[in-house]
Formats: sequence, C-alpha cells, structure tokens
Amino acid sequence: MPEPVIASVGASPIGRTDLPGRDLFSIALAEAFDGLPDPAELVEAVYVGNQSESYEHQIMHGTLLAEWAGLRHVPAERVEGCAAAGALALRHAVKDVRNGDHEAVLACGVEKMTSAGTSGATDALSAAFDRAIEQRSGVTAPSQYALLAQRYLHETDATERDLAEIAVKNHANAARNPRAQFPKEIDVDTVLESNPVASPLKLYDCAPVGDGAAAVLVTSAELAEDLGRPQVRVAGSGASANNIAVAERDMTDIAGARIAAETAYEEAGIDADAVDIAEVHDAFTVCEALLAEAAGFAPSEMGYQSYLDPAKRADGWTDVRLSPSGGLKARGHPIGATGLLQALEAYEQLTGAAGDRAVEGADTALLLNEGGVADAVTVGHVLTTAEGAR
Amino acid sequence: MTDLDASDPRTLPGFFDALAEGELLGGVCADCGQVLLPPRPACYACGSRAVDVEPQSPGGTIFSYTEVHAAPPAFAADAPYTVAVVELADGGRLLGRVDADYADVAIGDPVELTVQEPTAEQREAALDYEADWPVHRFELR
Repeated sequence: MPEPVIASVGASPIGRTDLPGRDLFSIALAEAFDGLPDPAELVEAVYVGNQSESYEHQIMHGTLLAEWAGLRHVPAERVEGCAAAGALALRHAVKDVRNGDHEAVLACGVEKMTSAGTSGATDALSAAFDRAIEQRSGVTAPSQYALLAQRYLHETDATERDLAEIAVKNHANAARNPRAQFPKEIDVDTVLESNPVASPLKLYDCAPVGDGAAAVLVTSAELAEDLGRPQVRVAGSGASANNIAVAERDMTDIAGARIAAETAYEEAGIDADAVDIAEVHDAFTVCEALLAEAAGFAPSEMGYQSYLDPAKRADGWTDVRLSPSGGLKARGHPIGATGLLQALEAYEQLTGAAGDRAVEGADTALLLNEGGVADAVTVGHVLTTAEGAR
Repeated sequence: MTDLDASDPRTLPGFFDALAEGELLGGVCADCGQVLLPPRPACYACGSRAVDVEPQSPGGTIFSYTEVHAAPPAFAADAPYTVAVVELADGGRLLGRVDADYADVAIGDPVELTVQEPTAEQREAALDYEADWPVHRFELR
C-alpha cells in the first residue's frame, strides 16, 4: 500500500478578518503550493472541512474551493462533523492515498465565524447539540463544557486555578507562534478574574471565535520525494462517535477520544509514551486535562497537570508537550480549519520549521480533533518522522 | 419497528405527547438495562434493538450544573440561568433547566422534573413540528 504523507501545509491569518471564506482559502492554498506545481497539475481530489452554512449562507464547499484552486472534474466534497470537520477531511485524504485511489489529495478547512457576531456564532454552534432536549433547554457550547468542568473539578483534585494555568501555558506557547490569533502571554489572575461565561468557565477558559482557513497536501511518500518536499508520515488514523447528548456520556472518561487515540496508536504501531508533542482540542481549558487522560499521557484524574513541566508532573505522566502552537485557546479555533491547523503545527514541528517554539528532538505527534460537545465525534492522527514507526 | 409512527414513544412526537400529559417515558434496553432518554429504537450501550418503553420516576439528583451567562438568541431574556445534568432515580440522565439560582445548587442535590407548556418565545423559536412540544425543567426539592 502507498504510504500517505503530508507534503505541504498552508494557512490564512486567523482571527477577525475582512475576507470571506473562499478568499481565506486562497491565501492558505497559495502558501501550501509555494514552490510546487499548480494544484491542477497535482491534486486528484478535494475534501473541505466546514462547520456551518449559517456564517456565509453557502454549502457546496467542495465544488467552490476546488474551482478556486483551479480544479475541475475532480471528486470534491465538504465533510461535516462540527469542529472535527478538518481532521475528518485529513482522514479521508489519507485513506484515499493509502488505498491507492489517488496520489495527491487536498485536505482543507475554512470557517468565516465572525460574519454574524458572537450571537451568530453561538447560534450556529448550538446546532451541534441534540435538538430535542439540549437545544430546547437553552444550552450553549461553553455551558456544555462547563458541565464537564464542574464534574471534573468535583471528581479530582483540580481547581479553577489549574484550569486557568492551562490557558496561561497555551498563551505562552502562542506568543512564539507567528500564526497565532492571540500571540501574547497572560497571567493566571487575568483568567481567574475574567467574566464568567458558563460557571465555572470564564472568558479566558474559552477558545475565541475567529475566521481562518488551512490547506494540507497529502501525497504518497514517493510523490513527496519526487517533489523534493520534507515529508511527515501519517502513520495512524482513528475516529469515533459517541452519544450526541452530553448527559448520556461518561463525563470524565472521554471514551470517544480514548478510542480514536488508541486506534491511531495501534495503526502506527506505537504507545502513548512515544508521542513527543500533541495538539489536542482545547476548545475549553478543561478539554486539555480530559484529553491528556484519554490519550494515555496522564494517569486518571491527573490530566490537569498538562501545564507543568514534564519533570513536575505526577508519576505515570509521559513527557509529552501539549499544544505547542498555543492550542485552540490562543492559536485560534476557526472551526472547520482547526483540525488542519493542528496538522500544520505538527508538520512544522517535525520538519524543523517551528522556529522559536520548536520542541527539541520531537519526531512523533498526536492530533486529537473533536466535534460537537467533547467527544461527540473525535478524530485522532499519529504523525511521525521516526525510523521504525510504521 | 416497521409500524413506527408518531404515536410511538420511540419517536419524538410520541415521547413529547406523553410528556405533555406529565409522563416521562424512557427506553429501557431489554438486554442490558440501559435507560435511554428519550426512547429510541436501539440501545447505544450494547447495540440491542430490543428496547422497552417504561415510565421513569421524575425524581433525581444533580450530577453536574452550570450557569449560562451568554445565552442563545432565543433565550437571551432569561440569562443568566441554571442548567444541569440530572441523574434520575431509575438510572437515566437528562439535561434541563433548573428553577434555582446557580449559587443555590450543588452536585447531589435532589430535584424533581416538572413539565411546562412552551412559552410564546419558545414557540417563536420552534420548528413547525415542535411548536406544541412541552419543555421540561427541574425544581429543587
């Protein structure tokens, strides 16, 4: 079977922009194809991660973005899984290359979240919750995650200050990331004193609303070699759905994420302790704690120590570094693009292109991208340049 | 299952018709006992399609809770308000609004489900087929 690799990446600016989604995509695509033949000479299929048509009253993103890339008469489709749409697009591209269906597939993602203000984004995101019970009870994305956070604080020794420290750590990482929406350090009091959004979560526990696009070119290893591109192997991919209603799930064992990570590890032939860096779905600070446990990095109830230096964490923690990009919290979270921004960070880290934020010696990354509330759907990928990993 | 229609409580209209009469119906898996709220044709815990429909006790305890400050447009006038996941006495879990201030709620507090007619605002925000569906809430006991 051909070995799928990431051969190139690109992104638009992230945050409040004056450009519609398709134009943000054009910027991301131009970066990804800088120094390469035109997309029409390489790309055989397109997958687009995109959350909602309510932002731009536009569906048909497969057709639209293929055309804007100069492609016609190729298979092209939008994939939807709320905030996991980007990683689902990557997963489809990886499978097509692995199956030998195509040699080069474009996985991209785009979201124009700022088009209707905070209330527009709140309303669009609420469509990811169960309609019959949850939406009709007036829940929001922060309040759903607040239910997880409240339970996590109840069951573990973690405090609101620990969750705040996760935001502080991710802002410190973003301060060294020129792509970040909020490239600035903050202190823990800024988080703790920020306005309550859905108690116990405060404004600075929450990833921001923002626009953005990302493009990831997945090819066979052979083609990447021919193109003379640095390549990162996609050694494992896993995905798992869970209940749509958060009430019916185990709210502190994030089972869907655990299964997605374990499936990706198994495919890659590695264990959790082989992972040097992880980009996890910290849409809210508590997610990083929960996902550190689900990914097998931290013992049960100890994931909240993700902000500590590896030497200071509890026994049983691996020495993984979480969200070197700054995570969703500070790098930014343009929903449909997020899973591909995670892949972009791992590609730059593993090919020596991460500049000041490079994690020394890193050769293996885990990506965990979630959609809906927490693990309503989770997609996991193992990316590696290590010899020996499958 | 081929005769499933809108009077069957394993459909949403059937479930809400019963709720409007004050009866909370749950699916109960005949194979593993999992409670499903609302009832549905298959059990997510074990995959069985042998799901019975049984009345559920309206009593339960707070499993987790929060206070919504920034509400969706249709609920903005009510904010801030309290929302909880409640573990019902018969084992199912259900999310709903709580008629109490956030500061007066704690995990483990006993609550009871109540059923209300939809308000004018809720009808305004409803899809056509939802317009008459009742809305459940929880009261502290």
